[in-house]
Amino acid sequence: MASSLFFYFLAVVTTVGAIAVVAFPSPLYSVLALILTFLGLAGLYLSLHAQFVAIVQVIIYASAIMMLFLFVVMLINLGREEKRELRLPGQKLLGAIAGLAVFSMLLKVFLSTSLMTGKKGSFPPERVSELGNTQIIGNLLLTDYVLPFQAMGVLLFVGIVGAVVLARRRSR
Amino acid sequence: MAPLEHYLILSAVLFSLGVVGVVVRRNAIVVILCIELMMNGANLAFVAYGRFLDSMAGQMIVFFVMAVAAAEAAIGLAIVVLIYRNRESTDLDEINLLKL
Repeated sequence: MASSLFFYFLAVVTTVGAIAVVAFPSPLYSVLALILTFLGLAGLYLSLHAQFVAIVQVIIYASAIMMLFLFVVMLINLGREEKRELRLPGQKLLGAIAGLAVFSMLLKVFLSTSLMTGKKGSFPPERVSELGNTQIIGNLLLTDYVLPFQAMGVLLFVGIVGAVVLARRRSR
Repeated sequence: MAPLEHYLILSAVLFSLGVVGVVVRRNAIVVILCIELMMNGANLAFVAYGRFLDSMAGQMIVFFVMAVAAAEAAIGLAIVVLIYRNRESTDLDEINLLKL
């Protein structure tokens, strides 16, 4: 019961944060609201017994990536989004329709049980708590998932080089 | 513990709010934020399914999604800074150099 209450509390926090991201006129407040959402999600991962993912969510997502966003927002000194006509007439209505359409599609997939059929994996909660969540992830990263792991390294390297090359001042 | 469906509904809510933000907002940074929101909605579904199917694959995929999100944020923000330097604005409606 307590963990269920915990879930609903975090669900409300996360949803309010997500609505605030879309609704706040100032990008700075949007970034701060997204940090709230990410912290709520970290709590949800904890309630799903995914401790490693929860910690990474706090350290990498809510801290490092969001710090990058905050830095850029303050660097280019963004104010509020100007109150101006949107380019498309009825763009807000279009957004609501698109959101509702995506939501109903996702619900239809999620609430059909076909994704839950098939045999279960080899990591029931007792085994995970016995071996340790982080230990299992470390093991899997260097055995079953070693190719994606290496590709991830290449991707991050390309990302760093690309960001430096793009944002550097052109010397003339 | 809350049932799987509730986690999935929350994940769908987060993803759809991200879609709404991408369509409605004009500021490039907020659009990137909304894309991050959509990725996190997907992550929540991955972790929830992994938990209820006794699998670690969901958490592994989330780990890789986070790496992709970090790279995407770095490149996206570099492009935003570049656009701001050229046009003094991050408004997506003003970025129309390729338009005839």
